[in-house]
Amino acid sequence: MAGDFELTRNITIGQYLPTGSVIHRMDPRLKLLAAALWILSISLCHTYLGNVAGLCVCLALFALARIPLSYGLSGLKPAIPFILILAILQLLFYGNGYGPSGQVYFHWGILRITSASVRVVVVSTLRFVEIIFAVSVLTLSTSITELTHGVEGLLRPLGRMKVPVHAFALIVTIAVRFVPTFAMEMEKMMKAQASRGAEFGTGSWWNIARRTRDVFPLIIPLFNTALVRAEELALAMEARGYVPGQARTAYRRYRAGGRDIVMFLAGMALSAALVFAPFPF
Amino acid sequence: MRTVVAGATSPATAGAAGNANGEWPAEGRRIHSCVAKGSSMKPLIEVNQISFSYGQGPSQSVAAFTDVSLRVYPGEYVAVIGQNGSGKSTLAKHLNGILTPTRGDVWVAGMNTKDASCKQQIRRCVGMVFQSPDNQLVATIVEDDVAFGLENLGVPPGEMQERIDEALEAVGMSEYRHRPPHFLSGGQKQRVAIAGILAMRPDCLVLDEATSMLDSFGRAEILAVVRRLNQQGMAIVTITHHMSEVAEADRVLVMHEGRVALEGTPRELFAHPDQLEALGLDVPEASRVAQQVHARIPAFRRDAISVEEVVAEVDRLAGSGGERRHG
Ligand SMILES: Nc1ncnc2c1ncn2[C@@H]1O[C@H](COP(=O)(O)OP(=O)(O)OP(=O)(O)O)[C@@H](O)[C@H]1O
Ligand SMILES: [Mg+2]
Repeated sequence: MAGDFELTRNITIGQYLPTGSVIHRMDPRLKLLAAALWILSISLCHTYLGNVAGLCVCLALFALARIPLSYGLSGLKPAIPFILILAILQLLFYGNGYGPSGQVYFHWGILRITSASVRVVVVSTLRFVEIIFAVSVLTLSTSITELTHGVEGLLRPLGRMKVPVHAFALIVTIAVRFVPTFAMEMEKMMKAQASRGAEFGTGSWWNIARRTRDVFPLIIPLFNTALVRAEELALAMEARGYVPGQARTAYRRYRAGGRDIVMFLAGMALSAALVFAPFPF
Repeated sequence: MRTVVAGATSPATAGAAGNANGEWPAEGRRIHSCVAKGSSMKPLIEVNQISFSYGQGPSQSVAAFTDVSLRVYPGEYVAVIGQNGSGKSTLAKHLNGILTPTRGDVWVAGMNTKDASCKQQIRRCVGMVFQSPDNQLVATIVEDDVAFGLENLGVPPGEMQERIDEALEAVGMSEYRHRPPHFLSGGQKQRVAIAGILAMRPDCLVLDEATSMLDSFGRAEILAVVRRLNQQGMAIVTITHHMSEVAEADRVLVMHEGRVALEGTPRELFAHPDQLEALGLDVPEASRVAQQVHARIPAFRRDAISVEEVVAEVDRLAGSGGERRHG
């Protein structure tokens, strides 16, 4: 049961795992762009073989980034209930909604399982796993600082149109910076509540309703401390000369080198192959 | 020790105000020292009979303090103590212009904190570290956090590296520069927060109960850093509830119900435990020990205020006692 309190360990977002691999050292802007393209092409690929190939590429990315696969699997775990529910719903109802295409395996009342619905289930499950893996590699190999700077760099053209790109990046940075802090806070509150007899973590991990209900008594105090923190943080930022909307300089500057461009092109080629290659089934 | 009477300080800021624009360009983003070192007679911070109330409208406003005056000279170490709610934090926020007084003026290196165009210079000149180690770090990597203030000041990127290195070195956190802050201990986070201020190269560091959320080890770390900075010439204003920290200061200000009730050196102050007690405050353990030993052994000096001084005094008496025995 003790393990259920250790939220900080289960949060992969913002948990940068520095291994110094080529993936880690890639220019964050190009890495982001490549990841976005890759994820897009995964969502466009609807063949079995294509998705298996995509999964292999994702696994290869873990190897290339020298990140243990267990990190990807732990990112997958919380998504399993959603994947399962989605799969079951698709399995039961997809065959109906889109007309009887393909071979009908099973038909009872409104339930109709066809070869098309099986394909949808398998492909969407694979896609889900691939996307989670791809995002895990991205977040594990890119510090949040780089990620926000990458987003900021990519969105910079919008800045000329008076979109507050920098403020947005700062908001994201701060939000992410406080994720572990709030996780620890929540851990503390759960322990405090548990010591007064509340039950946490006794519901199974797939019992979403139960687990959500368990969290309710924590929400108000968590909001409360969040507001206090926000106020203090604003004060500290002001004390360090932050004025919203002012022109600032940037400590980190990125310059895409030859290797970054080669890696980006490789990513683009893979993405294109996934979408356009004639996978037989 | 002097018991401060409201209105005792005479304003001497007209001259400083006059050359403010000449010496500290209002919108210039170049960073240079606010105060010419050597002109140590000119106060770095001059608080002139200020009053401040929270909230607008006379009906619901809360007076945080009235008629407070304070001067901080370059290189000075000032401690501010007082009960909860006596207005210490509110005063601290006036020192770098986060709050501006309802009445009276605060001058920082010749700049009035009410002058919005000097804001950035004032923030650079007077850095502030707050109580909670968690709520003042903005970035996800230590060195980015230290860079935050520099980015705000518009320091050119080429110059940042050197200043970040220097600041992290000064607080002994260089090896943690690539770590995310949430893996650090409270004392380490607080040292990073100090580094974030140091990188801005302030002339004065204000610590608002910066050690109160730390364990004794973390506190010792911070005190060591602060002491070293002060020895290197930085002015320190520390707000604290720990009397052993007060003993390190050159000068102590005791706030009580929004006024400066007492002011003096720590030794002067701790010599009158009854007076402090009336203000709801304590003397450090070492001071109490010295006074109680003095009551029994009159030769023992009663004005020792730190453990080191008590030990030295014991040594002295033991030594002279031994001499007497031999002689
Ligand atoms: N944001 C605020 N709005 C209204 N009143 C405030 C606010 N902050 C402080 N006060 C009031 O101002 C007075 C002085 O508060 P301040 O925080 O300066 O005290 P303090 O000496 O720092 O206390 P502590 O030792 O608890 O930190 C208190 O009466 C307090 O209730
Ligand atoms: Mg306070």
